[in-house]
Amino acid sequence: MIQEIAHQTEHAAEAPAPFDAGKTIIEHVSNAKDHPIVHLPHLMGIDFSVTKHVMMLWLVAAFVFLVVTVTVRRYLKQEQLVPFGFMNGLEAVVEFIRDSIVAPNVGRRWVNTWTPLVLTLFIFILCANAVGLVPIFELLGLLDHWVLRTGEHSFVKGLMHGGTTATANFNVTAALATITFGAIIVAGSKAHGFVTHWKNLVPHGLAWPIYILLIPIEILGMFVRPFALTMRLAANMTGGHIAILTLLSLVFIFAQMSGRALVGIGFGAVVSVPLAAAISGLEIIVVLVQAYVFTLLSAVFIGMAIHAHH
Amino acid sequence: MVGSLHFFGAALGLGMIVIGAALGIGKFAAAAAESIARQPNAADKITGAVNLPLFLLEGVAIIAEVGVLLIVLLK
Repeated sequence: MIQEIAHQTEHAAEAPAPFDAGKTIIEHVSNAKDHPIVHLPHLMGIDFSVTKHVMMLWLVAAFVFLVVTVTVRRYLKQEQLVPFGFMNGLEAVVEFIRDSIVAPNVGRRWVNTWTPLVLTLFIFILCANAVGLVPIFELLGLLDHWVLRTGEHSFVKGLMHGGTTATANFNVTAALATITFGAIIVAGSKAHGFVTHWKNLVPHGLAWPIYILLIPIEILGMFVRPFALTMRLAANMTGGHIAILTLLSLVFIFAQMSGRALVGIGFGAVVSVPLAAAISGLEIIVVLVQAYVFTLLSAVFIGMAIHAHH
Repeated sequence: MVGSLHFFGAALGLGMIVIGAALGIGKFAAAAAESIARQPNAADKITGAVNLPLFLLEGVAIIAEVGVLLIVLLK
């Protein structure tokens, strides 16, 4: 992240264009469709190029799939089913999700049906959120700058744009929320039957004029819930990035305003970097809380479809 | 002058969002702390009951902030 700004200012030094904080931040946060990492052709009018968010999404998905599958397979092969090593941590997470998120909301009867889905959502979102805090690709950029020295548009330079949180992209979270949306309907249909689930959306036995008001509101509410899930996760992840980048941009803004690099560096050392570090610490909490919130709300919505006491 | 009015509106909106969210979260925290002080045994249940509306409130604030961001970006 720091490097990207440094990279930008290097450009600014070559050409006397002033440092544009807004542009730098948006370039970092957005998906960078103009310069994807791997160019792929358009199919049916859809651009299949691998952008940085797509790459991070795949990396996280592959990582979660491999780590969890290998751990659980190894655990199941043992003579006695006693967890050891990483399996201990995984089991603690599974138990936490089952006992304190799914069971109280969904109810004892449906726990085993819905825990796998909620658990998958939790672990995936947690890993996708957390990987944005790990500066792997920034280290790669450092290596590139001092050792490899590849060209301007090389593959490594493209990779350097990675290291973002895939869940900071609204499309990713919209897809996750769509899974929840489908799960709500499936949960209601499994518990009450397909037709009854839709009837359960509104209370029975009211005077008919109320239904004219109530049915549109309930249909709207059906779509608002996944929409709120989408916005909450993506905006929280993007918000953290923007806050950190804004603080770090102040270094360059101050240096430019005073015309001396030393002022910027001093301001950075005293204000920007400590504050950015503090916000990074806050981000660790946000990463955990947002993964928890997404799964908790999914479980609550699924539970509401199952326990529709109208 | 008129060209930068949307920045003014966005900044004003952001401040109002923060006021609203802070009032809401403050009330939640106060009520939760009071009730836990009164009944320390029920701390888990109280936290659980406070969590859900807290996150819903946070969601509303976040959506409003996204709206503000869109005003700034799209002008």
